[in-house]
Amino acid sequence: MSTIKPKHQRLVLVVIALVALVGAGLLAAFALKSQASYFYLPSDIVAKPPEADRAVRLGGMVEKGSIAHSPDGITVQFIVADGKARVPVRFTGITPELFVEGSGVVAEGHLQAGTFMADNLLAKHDEKYVPREMRDMTKAQAKAVIAETK
Amino acid sequence: MHERLAQWDFVIAAYAIGVIGTCLMVGWTLVAMRRAEMRRDLVRGSARANSGGTPEA
Amino acid sequence: MQMRRRSPPLGPCPAAPQVAEHRQPAAGVAGLYWIDNPAPMHGFANPARFLRLARWLTPLLLGSGLLLASGALLWGLLVVPPDRLMGDTVRILFIHVPCVWLGMAGWSTIAISSLVELVWRHPLAAISGRAAAVPGAAFTAMGLATGSIWGRPTWGTWWVWDGRLTSFLILLFLYFGYIALANAAQRDAAAGSGANRVTAIFGIVGAINIPIINRSVVWWNSLHQPPSITMGKSSIDGTFLWPLLFAAVGFSLIFGGVVLARMRMLLADIQAEARLRRKAMA
Repeated sequence: MSTIKPKHQRLVLVVIALVALVGAGLLAAFALKSQASYFYLPSDIVAKPPEADRAVRLGGMVEKGSIAHSPDGITVQFIVADGKARVPVRFTGITPELFVEGSGVVAEGHLQAGTFMADNLLAKHDEKYVPREMRDMTKAQAKAVIAETK
Repeated sequence: MHERLAQWDFVIAAYAIGVIGTCLMVGWTLVAMRRAEMRRDLVRGSARANSGGTPEA
Repeated sequence: MQMRRRSPPLGPCPAAPQVAEHRQPAAGVAGLYWIDNPAPMHGFANPARFLRLARWLTPLLLGSGLLLASGALLWGLLVVPPDRLMGDTVRILFIHVPCVWLGMAGWSTIAISSLVELVWRHPLAAISGRAAAVPGAAFTAMGLATGSIWGRPTWGTWWVWDGRLTSFLILLFLYFGYIALANAAQRDAAAGSGANRVTAIFGIVGAINIPIINRSVVWWNSLHQPPSITMGKSSIDGTFLWPLLFAAVGFSLIFGGVVLARMRMLLADIQAEARLRRKAMA
């Protein structure tokens, strides 16, 4: 059949183009790795502290038991950690609804004498979705409930 | 100070966008489809009007 | 002869006498010759066969999809309990996730159709790619809008330029580009230009954005959370997962119905144009 050949030719061409395309995409994504990140982790900030005036974003977990409210009522201090490093953060303003200990946070601001002075605070949600009734259960209880619903 | 928002307002807004958007898309597509099929049948001549695209709804 | 071989024909129209009438001027109808060219090579390349299937499948998909989706949304709105952290805003999950899933599925449809169109020259593939563009763009826009509304109460912002949100916005612009190209190609089709192929190439090239969207939350630090559902594992509790599953299936059925309806629309347009051109030549 004479129709087979050009069809295969086209298929090979398209496959080569696709491979080149995916390669280019992966390369671009890899090159963008540092630029395209929305925030720095505490370990990044500790390893390479940004200049004092430069605005950066710091993201990580709000360490359990670290949130301290100032007497003025609108200033909070807490520690953002990523398991490798810890950075103290200070923020004056209204915190987002999901800003709680043990949860993710992204702070916009600058580093000043080892403390991150945040102008803006964003909460980061994790990938878990759990009903409120299970919140107060112990891990074992929650697991049992989850196992039941499965 | 912790932010307190009326959560249901956001839920209703998101559902409204999703539901209205989907309904508009479905309705517009069905109208456009029927119009195109009726035009084709018209062009083909009335004798074949029923074999082309009869509205099914 | 050369032209015929390069593009598998769509085959004859249902009525037999029509075939003979179709055949004579077929070679003269540049760009649309396959519609009138008998001898179907692919079963579903035959428009009569496709239309027979699509005619009952379109209302079936749309009806069942609307029913399932509205049931799932009511379930999510009225039955599902609040989330431990997000509270009631977790309900946006059931509208947001199906929208973004279909926004990406829409471009996947375009990419696969474009591939089949370019390599196998299957005429229905060109139509199915174009038919998926508008619903895909609509779901992408709805995904962006519902996500923004969800972001305000949970993250504390309507929008951020992180990897996930930015790559998804790019998806919407890719849809706009594809739709503009497809419309231009449709206008040029009469002149028999290869603009259709440009549309298909754009559809394949644009598909590179799909894995980028998917991986953006893994490759780059982003405000958007990493995927909840990965390879057989889910971090979503069953009370949320089931209505989400129903909503996703329901909206997917609606999407399928809309794509079929738009394919019928495009096919009817092509057939009407071909007939008008023949009349003008006779």
